[in-house]
Amino acid sequence: MGHLSNDEFFVKLQELFDGRKGKDHGAIYLTQKRLSYKQPIPEATTDAVIPELHPPQPLPILIRATNGKSKEKRKEKLKVKLSTVVEPDALPAFFARYADVCKASMTTLKPRDRSKRKGKAKKKKTTAAPAA
Amino acid sequence: MPYYASADDWLRQSQLLLEARPATTRVTTKYSIRPAKPRRKAGGGEEETAADPATAKPPRGVLVLKTFDPKTGTALKYKTTKAAEVSRLVQGLGKLGRPMAGLPELRDEPMLDAPESGTGTPAGEKAAAAVGGDEKTPGAPAQGQQQQQQQAAGGGGGGKGKKKKGKR
Repeated sequence: MGHLSNDEFFVKLQELFDGRKGKDHGAIYLTQKRLSYKQPIPEATTDAVIPELHPPQPLPILIRATNGKSKEKRKEKLKVKLSTVVEPDALPAFFARYADVCKASMTTLKPRDRSKRKGKAKKKKTTAAPAA
Repeated sequence: MPYYASADDWLRQSQLLLEARPATTRVTTKYSIRPAKPRRKAGGGEEETAADPATAKPPRGVLVLKTFDPKTGTALKYKTTKAAEVSRLVQGLGKLGRPMAGLPELRDEPMLDAPESGTGTPAGEKAAAAVGGDEKTPGAPAQGQQQQQQQAAGGGGGGKGKKKKGKR
């Protein structure tokens, strides 16, 4: 499957997350790496600088998302695999949106619980006082 | 494979690893959901089944971030279950995208080394080059790289020295 546009990617990613909602198991893998395939990087020369360390122009980044289903599940069309390419100048906007999607979708993580923490802090104080 | 105790440590070491090996290093975020383990009470099983539907715990989610460089086998990990950390961590991922793309790190101070080399050399390399004089030996950048990796690898033990407080 070819790469999706950033907008399509977010739509599909949302679907991927929604598919896990209400389920009690499963995983979603998100990966990011430099897209160096078919990119104009000069060949390694005798220069002191390694070309991939300092590319002449910024390179795009490849973002992948999958639900990690195995090959057998792929036949049943259960495997979801998404990818998109983010251009360097679109990075901040992409990650701002990415953060929103993740924050809204990762619902099974522990919510912030202030009252509990407060109670714990109080408890600690009371136990620490006699020891000192 | 160390898990870092703090997200900041993980982010900093990942940044160093990415600056050293931007072409091969990847960052994976795993969001996994597992059913909550049923708590066994010392009492009879009847009570448990009766209480289950009412107080059944929702499935637990875990977020694991991993920075991995297959060439050197370096893996840096961070694990959290707190929802409050998600947006900050994803912003961190965005930060890590900069060295990945080959963009210079965002800094508040003006960049001093930009005009000379024009490639946004990381500070470590710059220092190594400065020690060796102005002549650009091929060894200098490699040295800087090594230092960064050592830092990245050496930081792993840091989180484990945490004191365990006795429970009362």
